[in-house]
Amino acid sequence: MSEATLKARSPLDNFHQDFGNLEIREVTGLALVSIATPLGGETQLEGAMASAYKAELPRVGTSTVSGVDDTRFLGLQPGQMFAMFAHDGDRAVEFVSKKLGENGYYTDQSDSWVFIQLSGTAARTALERICPIDIHADAFPIGAVTRTVMEHLGTIITRTGEDTFVLISARSSAKSFLHAVLTSVNNVQ
Amino acid sequence: MTQSNRIKGGVIDRAKTLSFFFNDQRLDGHAGDTLASALIANGVKLVGRSFKYHRPRGIFSAGSEEPNALVQLRRGTFQEPNTRATVAELFDGLCATSQNHRGPLKYDLLAVNDLFSPFLSAGFYYKTFMWPKAFWEKLYEPIIRSSAGLGRLSGKADPDVYDKGFLHCDVLIIGAGPAGLAAALTAARSGARVILADEDFRLGGRLNAETLEVGGANGADWAAGTVSELSSMENVRLLTRTTVYGAYDHGVYGALERKTDHLSDSGGRPRQVLWRIYSKAAILCAGSTERSIAFGNNDRPGVMMAGSVRAYANRWAATPGKRVAIFTNNDDGWRTATDLASRGIDISAVIDTRDRPPLEAPAGALVAMGSAVADTKGRHGISAVTLTNGQTIDCDCLAVAGGWNPNVHLTCHQRGRPEWREDIAAFVPGNDLPAGMSVAGAANGAMTLSAAFKEGHERAGSIAGDLGFKPSETAPPKAEDEAAEITAFWHVGQSKARAWIDQQNDVTAKDVKLSHKEGYRSVEHLKRYTTLGMATDQGKTANMLGLAVMAECTGKSIPETGTTIFRPPYSPVPIGAFAGRARGKDFRPTRLTPSHQWAEEQGATFVETGQWLRAQWFPQSGETHWRQSVDREALQVRSTVGICDVTTLGKIDIQGRDAAEFLNRAYANGFAKLAVGKTRYGLMLREDGVAMDDGTTARLSETHFVMTTTTANAVGVFRHLEFCRQCLWPGMDVHLISATEQWAQYAVAGPKARDLLRKVIDPEFDISNEAFPFMGCGEITVCGGTPGRLFRISFSGELAYEIAVPTRYGDAMIKALMKAGEEFGAVAYGTEALGVLRIEKGHAAGNELTGQTTAQDLGMGRMVSKKKDSIGNTLSERPDLNREDGLTLVGFVPANRGDELKAGAHFVSKGKAATTENDEGWMTSVAYSPSLGHSIGLGFIKRGHERTGEVVQAADPLRGSNTDVEIVSPHFIDPEGERLRV
Repeated sequence: MSEATLKARSPLDNFHQDFGNLEIREVTGLALVSIATPLGGETQLEGAMASAYKAELPRVGTSTVSGVDDTRFLGLQPGQMFAMFAHDGDRAVEFVSKKLGENGYYTDQSDSWVFIQLSGTAARTALERICPIDIHADAFPIGAVTRTVMEHLGTIITRTGEDTFVLISARSSAKSFLHAVLTSVNNVQ
Repeated sequence: MTQSNRIKGGVIDRAKTLSFFFNDQRLDGHAGDTLASALIANGVKLVGRSFKYHRPRGIFSAGSEEPNALVQLRRGTFQEPNTRATVAELFDGLCATSQNHRGPLKYDLLAVNDLFSPFLSAGFYYKTFMWPKAFWEKLYEPIIRSSAGLGRLSGKADPDVYDKGFLHCDVLIIGAGPAGLAAALTAARSGARVILADEDFRLGGRLNAETLEVGGANGADWAAGTVSELSSMENVRLLTRTTVYGAYDHGVYGALERKTDHLSDSGGRPRQVLWRIYSKAAILCAGSTERSIAFGNNDRPGVMMAGSVRAYANRWAATPGKRVAIFTNNDDGWRTATDLASRGIDISAVIDTRDRPPLEAPAGALVAMGSAVADTKGRHGISAVTLTNGQTIDCDCLAVAGGWNPNVHLTCHQRGRPEWREDIAAFVPGNDLPAGMSVAGAANGAMTLSAAFKEGHERAGSIAGDLGFKPSETAPPKAEDEAAEITAFWHVGQSKARAWIDQQNDVTAKDVKLSHKEGYRSVEHLKRYTTLGMATDQGKTANMLGLAVMAECTGKSIPETGTTIFRPPYSPVPIGAFAGRARGKDFRPTRLTPSHQWAEEQGATFVETGQWLRAQWFPQSGETHWRQSVDREALQVRSTVGICDVTTLGKIDIQGRDAAEFLNRAYANGFAKLAVGKTRYGLMLREDGVAMDDGTTARLSETHFVMTTTTANAVGVFRHLEFCRQCLWPGMDVHLISATEQWAQYAVAGPKARDLLRKVIDPEFDISNEAFPFMGCGEITVCGGTPGRLFRISFSGELAYEIAVPTRYGDAMIKALMKAGEEFGAVAYGTEALGVLRIEKGHAAGNELTGQTTAQDLGMGRMVSKKKDSIGNTLSERPDLNREDGLTLVGFVPANRGDELKAGAHFVSKGKAATTENDEGWMTSVAYSPSLGHSIGLGFIKRGHERTGEVVQAADPLRGSNTDVEIVSPHFIDPEGERLRV
């Protein structure tokens, strides 16, 4: 038996920088669980979502929020969504499966990604340099989510506030991704 | 020097004087000047030398069409050659130097070339320097190369910063002249998201260069007011100093924004930004470009485009001459005369090629109708013109008005062909425009101000309506239709001296005639033969002239002769802008393993494997050669235990009721009956029967599998499986998601592997050989409750496991494993030792799975199960893939054990010459085996399975070696597999 428990590390060691008109922050303490809809099981999953989470199944490109515990469901592709919720442990799948039972297939993605939040009036200006997606307020309302590519890195972008975006990209390239974000910010300062 | 040619008026800021340097001479200009306007204001006429003949050249135009006034800007590593002075915005301290001369600009030694012009006509290099043949490479080419070209690069890395970006809009309006501004106002007022881009630093286009009135006000003032209104609107984005250089598919446009080129110091910010603009609709309002007329010595400094002369006077308050002659074939030329005269400039003559009553000429100007300029005089600048009737007229500037060409460039980017319009003697956009693009204003052949406003307004209104916006009920701005009649006139046939068509490439009318004479008559051939229309200006002032002269030669009309079409970019885009920020180590992203920081702390040497950085080996003190480290690591694994980060292998989470059957179809070998808690090696074939990838797949539950792929094929296999799932078998309940990043995974290999793992895996999990046998798998906890997964698989051939924990614990886990392994002398091993161990064991890897080899070749033919169908199963039975003399993967050892083997060597039977015909296969992987004490290799050789013990040559003529090797089993270590089952 090992002498010590394992200490968790976040991909960017809780990076945070404030540029005045823009704040860049690594978001930690978030769990991400992919939920795949069993073939032909959409109605059952929908029912389970409604009763357990008081939430609707998100359409692709949109997100819904649980009326019970603020879990955000990101609609990413037909038959697949991500549940994003506050959770600092390593048993995220259990939380979801307890609520939705056998109505979905669950895979823990919490350690697969880095979460970087950009908030502030300069967020869109900075993101223009790396984000190919139209994130104008009219085209990308609060709650919108989509997969895209930023600086060669697959990225999920979601708008969580008026001027707040969360970028979700692969954990292994988190440093390169942060560099891309910071370069964008510096280039528009 | 004082600003001797500065006149009153203009839209420059006289309160702000800027100093700049041209060929080290300090001069003054004002904010709002371009380098060209400032040089003109200072009376500078000679600004460079021509490309081939080193003829003296001056400023010819006032925009991006400039063929002559190319200069080097800035100094040192910031030096940028071939910059058009006409679009270079003046700033304090700007340094510019002229190009393409040996010795001083005024006394260029290579001006001697002009004397040899009869020998340097179009295509001369195809005809001359042919003899003696050997001289070409050593003598002729170096001389020509050193003489050719224009400016010079610094030869050092570009110190500037560049960036890229993405913009989106409903309507992109390209060009902010009268049509563009009218269109922008209409579109913006409807509520559409508008981007208005213009290459100039002052929006307004020709409104800034003319004296025409809009709604009773000065045109430039109206433009400024309109820009002010647009800039106050939230739905409008103004991009000044931005050239839209290319029209691409689906309404995507490329644009280059010059962010800091007009500043003396960029402050470390990007100099230029390359934008990709996504538009729902685009309106091209790019205006038109004036063209010249071909006549003798029409390239002399001081011979300029008439509209540009007017622009310098009206916008920049700088006159190119004190006594100006006008040579025109249209009404617009007369406007230059009246505008200049109104500013007090002496007009010596207006020479009009048309036989018609003259327009109103300035007092004192000689008017010659139905006449033409045959020649010019002057050395470094024009001093007089000679008309076709022999009359000579003094002047220090000749303003040439040959008519205006609509800027159709972007309309051609998707193979659109312009159409000829006789009434304006010019090509206009055809009907096959890029999807979503429409054209308005002069770019569309609406050559008067009123017509341009009307078109811009109407086009924008119609587009806004189509996009679901409500166009405002406003009328277009009011302006007059100025006189714009033209009678085409291209070439003064009576001229005896050379008449320049393309000044940038030194192409003359004679060259075009020569091209015709020699059979290069299509416009495309003409372009290539003479170089007409090439280089930085892309023939903006020259193409039509060349075409017209060719039409004269062929006796055909211009539309019959045809036109070349354009491709991006509209004007030059620096390579640095295309590279953007992707330079050096930022060229592409880097993926780091969970143990990366720990490995760095151990002093590991890293290697790039795809985007990953992996530890290659871990040098220890006293080790001076990589082999020492690698040998130690490999031996230690075989003797005790080693730990290697294998996180980079692809991991695909596969779930669903049909997951087992899905795998059964995707893999060549059977997976349907794999028991829960078991792992199986799988070989995946492509549809054509060739091996695609291999790896292990573990069954965690009835509906849950985890597949591993090779590092290199992780993405490819995932994509392939998604294709299978979505397209081949959509009726299956199968769901895929990558879990590569989710788990930090470590191989723990060696006789002490189990002992080590018992120290980290929580005691309630029995990992004894009986409870957790070879190829077992299961979910566990480690270090007091952390969830993990354990797989008993071996790449090294030793007792081995792969243990995975959530990636957040990856750093802690490698430390825990190493600490637990201390008592066993555990080592961390890198990819080199990993390779040695797998070659010793005879496992195939990327070197063997080349995309050309089959299961049969790999010695795994029997794995392709015939009890079921799977991808590649049928085509793997093709006779040629199953030949008796087919390749087989076998092992090789040097006949002389001291020899070193090299991968890539080809096998040839003993006694045969090392030629392609005798080639029997190749060495795929080699390593020095520290366990065996000599070099070993894996490779494919024909009929290898029946040739054990045979000695063949491993021929390596490229590296000059030929080694005798003996064919052996590919399993150098533990061929029976006993070690991994203990």
